[in-house]
Amino acid sequence: MAAEFKTAQPVEYYKQFLKEEVRPDGRELGEIRSTILNVGSISTAHGSALVKLGNTTVVCGIKGEFASPTVEEPKKGYLVPNVDLPPLCSAQFKPGPPSIQAQVTSQLVADTLLSSNLLNYEDLCIKEGNMVWVLYCDMMCLDYDGNIIDACLIALLAALRNVRLPVVTIDEDTGLAELSSTEDRSLNIVNQFAATTFSVFDDSILLVDPTVEEEDLATGLMTVIVTQDGRLCNIHKPGGTPLSTDQIQDCIGRAQTRAKEICSLIDDTLDSIER
Amino acid sequence: MTSNPENNSSVEIRPIGSLQSCISKPDGSAVFTQGDTSVMAAVYGPGDVKPNKALMDKATVTVTYKPKIGISGVREKALERMIRNTCETVLLTTLFPRSSVDIIVQEIQDAGALLACSINAACLAMINAGIPMKCTVAASCCMMGKDEELIMDPTKEQTKDAECVLTSAIDSSAHSLIASSMQGSCSVEQYHKLMSVCQKACDKVFEFYREAMERTLSKP
Amino acid sequence: MAGLELLSDEGFRLDGRRPSELRKIRLRLGVFDQADGSAYIEQGNTKALATVYGPHEVLGGKGKPLHDKVIINCQYSMATFSTNERKNRPQGDRKSTEMSLHLQRTFEATIQTHLYPRSQIDIFVQILQADGGNYCACVNAATLAIINAGIPMKDYVCACSSGYVNNTPLTDVSYLEESQGGPVVTVAMLPKSEQIALFKMDNRLHVDHLEQVLEVASKGCKDMYAVMNAAVKEHVSRMAKSMECS
Repeated sequence: MAAEFKTAQPVEYYKQFLKEEVRPDGRELGEIRSTILNVGSISTAHGSALVKLGNTTVVCGIKGEFASPTVEEPKKGYLVPNVDLPPLCSAQFKPGPPSIQAQVTSQLVADTLLSSNLLNYEDLCIKEGNMVWVLYCDMMCLDYDGNIIDACLIALLAALRNVRLPVVTIDEDTGLAELSSTEDRSLNIVNQFAATTFSVFDDSILLVDPTVEEEDLATGLMTVIVTQDGRLCNIHKPGGTPLSTDQIQDCIGRAQTRAKEICSLIDDTLDSIER
Repeated sequence: MTSNPENNSSVEIRPIGSLQSCISKPDGSAVFTQGDTSVMAAVYGPGDVKPNKALMDKATVTVTYKPKIGISGVREKALERMIRNTCETVLLTTLFPRSSVDIIVQEIQDAGALLACSINAACLAMINAGIPMKCTVAASCCMMGKDEELIMDPTKEQTKDAECVLTSAIDSSAHSLIASSMQGSCSVEQYHKLMSVCQKACDKVFEFYREAMERTLSKP
Repeated sequence: MAGLELLSDEGFRLDGRRPSELRKIRLRLGVFDQADGSAYIEQGNTKALATVYGPHEVLGGKGKPLHDKVIINCQYSMATFSTNERKNRPQGDRKSTEMSLHLQRTFEATIQTHLYPRSQIDIFVQILQADGGNYCACVNAATLAIINAGIPMKDYVCACSSGYVNNTPLTDVSYLEESQGGPVVTVAMLPKSEQIALFKMDNRLHVDHLEQVLEVASKGCKDMYAVMNAAVKEHVSRMAKSMECS
């Protein structure tokens, strides 16, 4: 009976639950699904991480390659993020060129990387003006159950912290690069960040960490990206229900708490691996 | 309105201008300029919709963003999504089930605050088309420089050494936030300062909408 | 044999396996909720994920509904970080298209296609890490995903590869062994009836040895079947138990 009611009148179905201050999956309105993190599971990548945010699963693999730097910034390497939502992860995505959702998410991740001062890009320099590391960060969604942005950013950050790049020496005579097979180094992550996504239901109720059903029913979405030290990195609100200043302030507060949780989750996971 | 001089103490928006019904085929069109930034928007609709895209309870809103040069890529897709959702929020889409509202936004010149200008142009074009709306929407851009100075409606030159650039779209009835996007980072306090500057700039735009409409409608 | 000695004098392979030994297999059914069926498999360092959607109505302009059987649509893709060299295109290149086609042919031969006329079944397989035997891992993962989705098949399809080095056939070759240029035979088999759904061979192999190599590959398929069947049974009994509880 419940299933028929849900299919026929999803909004009413949700309202019945939200009246009791609970969501159909048993969470409270401000509760985030359990987050599971696993790093370094893909040995062909230089760094990798798998994140499960409830059912949403994202795997991020990072591969480093040599590239020549830009003329303006001869000492800086760069990151190339890409979010892939293959048809495998949900029935809503069809085979073919990347969906709009994937492109928009990629752009948001790229913007966030640019504005966050995540790492010192000069660390990625191999030889000034000649050769730098370019890190391709591919985030792939394996199971799509809403809130892809949060999951992607956790996966990206954890994978970046997991990166081990081989030490490169340049042969003076031939000018060729040689990779050391024994020595490697990790990246120096300066500034970590984390995203928290909110969805607005029925123009009034704020839900944290929406599932795919909640996203579909939402009248508005907002993602707040906060750095570890509490600075705002992005308030991304692509239209939808207007929100008042108080509501936004409330969201920022919650995002700051969440960012601390995520950073310590990543720390703990990496520690447990190294031990 | 005074212009935004290149000195950094400006709390003024660059001069705004507009031209409505500038092209004949669409149901509504407008060119919106803010300083040297200029965007043209055209609205078709409510009209026919492809059967596979029809929604049974509301109109389908699509936005196509055309860059000045080249073909549209990922960045344009992100802009399209932003403008589309913003326009859909203010339109009374439930009045026109199984129909479509198509908005085409053409960048003419980018000299800073492009997203804000695009949203304003789209809004003005929708007003021009006479599509029923809940309220109007205005967007503005504001930046914080290295020394925490705030600049309203910065030019592209100025945003180059910005700590943080905030673009926000605000509705005309409750003055609450519809859309927001940010480059760079700032503290929460600074964010609120930036927001209040954006609010002021948006109020200017709302004033301008009124003037522009009066001017257009009073034409003989 | 250039460079590497694939088989030591004591008869062990590079990774310490005996010639007829499979790599360590880990598998799980029903990993995701979104899909109708899903499975994950690890064969040594090769990691593959398969999801199945369907049977559902025929969508998209490409395929026309067939009046007597279901359309099977397979897509094979490799994560950009799955190989040592970064792949620029996860799918759509010639190799993946070929692989998709092979998978499609394999499953058209084993799924009871006549049961769902005018519908479509989508099978998506994703290689997360590649270390040889990609096709085999995909077939095995997809079989489990189809079983998980509850789509009737004639039998399991199990795939296994085998190589031939120093007059010794090797089972389940790894990337290192594949890349040395020796012959590799890949077989997808219905283990009960011993019918071959797909047979593929790279490089040349004397016809006298073919029988021997095929023998080893089909033995590998049957071993694979035993592991997969055990996993399916365990999964089903766990499901049954949880249903009893509720």
